[in-house]
Amino acid sequence: MNLMPSSSTRPVEKLSVRGLNFYYGQTLALKNINLPLYEQQVTAFIGPSGCGKSTLLRVLNRMYDLYPNQRAEGEVIFDGVNLLSPKQDVNLLRSRIGMVFQKPTPFPMTIYENIAFGVRLYERLLKHDLDERVEQSLRRAALWTEVKDKMHTSGLSLSGGQQQRLCIARTVAIKPDVILFDEPCSALDPISTARIEELIDELKQEYTIAIVTHNMQQAARVSQKTAFMYLGELIEFDDTAKIFTSPQAKQTQDYITGRFG
Amino acid sequence: MTEHTVKSYEEELALLDKKIAQMGGLAEQLLGKSLEALERRDPKLAEEVVTADRSIDNLEREIEEQVISMVARRQPMADDLRHIMGALRITTDLERIGDLAKNMAKRSLAIADESHPKPLMSGIRHMVELALHQLKEVLDAYAERDADKALAVWRNDAQIDAMYNSLFRELLTYMMEDPRNIGISTHLLFGAKNIERVGDHTTNIAETVHFLVRGFNITDDRPKDDQTSSTLISGT
Repeated sequence: MNLMPSSSTRPVEKLSVRGLNFYYGQTLALKNINLPLYEQQVTAFIGPSGCGKSTLLRVLNRMYDLYPNQRAEGEVIFDGVNLLSPKQDVNLLRSRIGMVFQKPTPFPMTIYENIAFGVRLYERLLKHDLDERVEQSLRRAALWTEVKDKMHTSGLSLSGGQQQRLCIARTVAIKPDVILFDEPCSALDPISTARIEELIDELKQEYTIAIVTHNMQQAARVSQKTAFMYLGELIEFDDTAKIFTSPQAKQTQDYITGRFG
Repeated sequence: MTEHTVKSYEEELALLDKKIAQMGGLAEQLLGKSLEALERRDPKLAEEVVTADRSIDNLEREIEEQVISMVARRQPMADDLRHIMGALRITTDLERIGDLAKNMAKRSLAIADESHPKPLMSGIRHMVELALHQLKEVLDAYAERDADKALAVWRNDAQIDAMYNSLFRELLTYMMEDPRNIGISTHLLFGAKNIERVGDHTTNIAETVHFLVRGFNITDDRPKDDQTSSTLISGT
């Protein structure tokens, strides 16, 4: 009685988290995390508030570097290199590991500029090529038909769901390898949520995707692998089908069935 | 087991178990009564069985509706998901058991005027007793969430199959002795087949209980001992 099919081909490990500890000042927020992220798969992170799932996501593209008193120990191997190493170029890293946040964060610029801005930081493209890249990215984010006639109006004039897809288009435009989603749908209505989920499903053909979500059904729907975290520890990591039908740890069971958290 | 944060969820799950227990109890009663009806050729008792089967059907519908509603509203996960889907499967098996018992009881009407082949009836009685015991065990296994007990029931089905095989041979022989026996023997043969099917539904329930408790399927090969589909006794 296998309730969900699991993928058959052997996945490639794109990112490997090894022995990761993370500190906010003196507080240990992540405790010895070991975990792979696979190429062409969506990995969902679930767990109650404060369990460290967003923190883990912030480590993966060194977002924590922006804040003093926050530090990480251990390794995150990305294409053979430890991205926590001080030698790592953080800007380059963030162009390869993109992030989409809970609240849509378009720049106060035109729709066109919202996407072109990031591309110009990393590449020098001819006007024609840049136009093409913008269109391509908006198409990938399933937003093109809705905005193609108003490319030069402000990104802030769009609806919440459209803004979120604009942010995804912006992330896709710089051709990253990995995309991190931090509760991308928590501020959206069900239709916009379905669009984003459809998009994640398509994006996974080309990218390695990690998503933090409080919506258990969403995790079950969009991901192939699921990690359950609690109090800064990784409690269980397995195929999504397994986690939601027969999890091994009692804490996972209690959390996803609504017995605590 | 820790309780759900939402109390009404907990209550709905308990209600589901209560209905399954009720349905299981009815199925046991029906099977017992249908044997009596057959033994005593009692048309009134047979009628009772037919009426009681309707309550089983109603319970099945109720459980189905509750399961659909729970899946839609609660989006069950993990052990809750296995519990709720398990209940849905078990209710189908119990409903089938009720039907088979009803069918057997009806045969008592058809053979009311025939002679009494005592040894054959006692063979059927033994089969029903074993099937009833198996059914009781598997319902206990469900109520107690006891996977080992379910596994024992699952293995034990081979006994019912063996009894069916020998009864099948006896009935064939009996028919060959005197063509006037063919009528009653055929009815008894179908009756025996029904009990054998009850045994199969009981093992289905055992498999469901095992999955519900452990989260994975029984992987052994069950000894399949019903050989009657390839048995022929030539009349020499």
